[in-house]
Amino acid sequence: MADNQQDEKLEYNVESQGESGASATFPMQCSALRKNGHVVIKGRPCKIVDMSTSKTGKHGHAKVHLVAIDIFTGKKLEELCPSTHNMDVPNVSRTEYQFSYIEDGFLNLIKPDGSEKSDVRVPEGDVGDRIREYEEAGTDILVTIISAMGEEAAISVKEAPKA
Amino acid sequence: MTADPIPELRRVLCDDNSPDLALRFRALFSLKHLATNGNLDAIKAIAAAFSSKSALLKHELAYCLGQCKNHAAAPFLQDVLKNLAEDNMVRHEAGEALGALVHVDSLPLLRKYLNDPSVEVRETCEIAIAKIEWETSAASKTEDLQSSAFASIDPAPPLAKEADISKLQRKLMDQESSLFERYRAMFRLRDIATPEAIDALATGLEDKSALFRHEIAFVFGQMSDPHSIPALIKAAGNKNEQSMVRHEAVEALGGIADERVDQFLKEYAQDEEVVVRDSAIVALDMAEFERSGAFEYALIPESN
Repeated sequence: MADNQQDEKLEYNVESQGESGASATFPMQCSALRKNGHVVIKGRPCKIVDMSTSKTGKHGHAKVHLVAIDIFTGKKLEELCPSTHNMDVPNVSRTEYQFSYIEDGFLNLIKPDGSEKSDVRVPEGDVGDRIREYEEAGTDILVTIISAMGEEAAISVKEAPKA
Repeated sequence: MTADPIPELRRVLCDDNSPDLALRFRALFSLKHLATNGNLDAIKAIAAAFSSKSALLKHELAYCLGQCKNHAAAPFLQDVLKNLAEDNMVRHEAGEALGALVHVDSLPLLRKYLNDPSVEVRETCEIAIAKIEWETSAASKTEDLQSSAFASIDPAPPLAKEADISKLQRKLMDQESSLFERYRAMFRLRDIATPEAIDALATGLEDKSALFRHEIAFVFGQMSDPHSIPALIKAAGNKNEQSMVRHEAVEALGGIADERVDQFLKEYAQDEEVVVRDSAIVALDMAEFERSGAFEYALIPESN
């Protein structure tokens, strides 16, 4: 039993490490959160799109109402939290990669060290359409990958600066 | 054109025949919000309820006036402090509120009541004087304090960024130190807010000063961490403990809003001490609010 718990803990720690070695989330007092910042709601990394604070009651208590958008699925999530409580904030990173080609619905990208990265899907919608168009036209492009809590997605594309 | 909510809030707050004390508290916190935004009619409406019979309500009025950051509240608070026939819990809160307002002109009055018959009032005045002197000193501008997550104006600032819990616990309980300095350790421990900090604070519930013990209970209410429940139940349920301390412990339990303590709150609602009974009624309402998922505790009519 004890061994199992230990294993679970180790596994969790491994999972919570991003590629940079930074932890997946960090705690922040609810009152310190800001609109356009990030927060974890129901286990999902989100961007805060609206935030309001109630009037204070006894003990100076206030509640914070958060409306946020899942940064990967776009789904709207809401949370009501005492202003003094801690919320998890995801470490969100954005990295630009040189684009090579599309294979089986996945992007083939080139890391800064020259190695390949081929584990991110071509996104649905406008960004994905534009990547395909650029590929057909043979234009050199850069794709920005957003990364949070072990998930990654392509969020934007632009033409590579002419060498 | 929106209707002015103050007359209705004032009516609810001042209605001493109302069976709904919890509703009156919600009206009070609505008025406090308006008072904090500089509304003088809201300050007057709060002060008007000092004619109430409920010591619990009156002490909360004084607390709210002290939190409103407006010196227009000071004369009302001075009158309460001067009234020797008033309940000492209410007079204490008025003295503390004058400190919270950093009302320098009240220093002579606070010094006068350093010799008050009530030990709680004496201690309160000592702390309020030290608070005003600190706030108006050079130290308040140079000390490197961590900004607090708690929205209250406290009777003392937290100690500067000391992180050693056992050192802070010794300062908290150092009987050679002034109450003001010991309060500073208390608010620093509150801001640290770990279970270890709560355990350190809980030792303060054994202090010889009832005022000090009641402030520990208040701080636990602010922190709302279930870790403090056993210490609070011990204080709230102790019939030999002073009612001022029991009342604050009961309201702290309401703020924590853990379903496991409802049975205790319902028991306290039958207590012999009226302040404890009233606190339990307010605490049950607070707990219900915390769990309801409702956004506003204060009841300013949203349509207005």
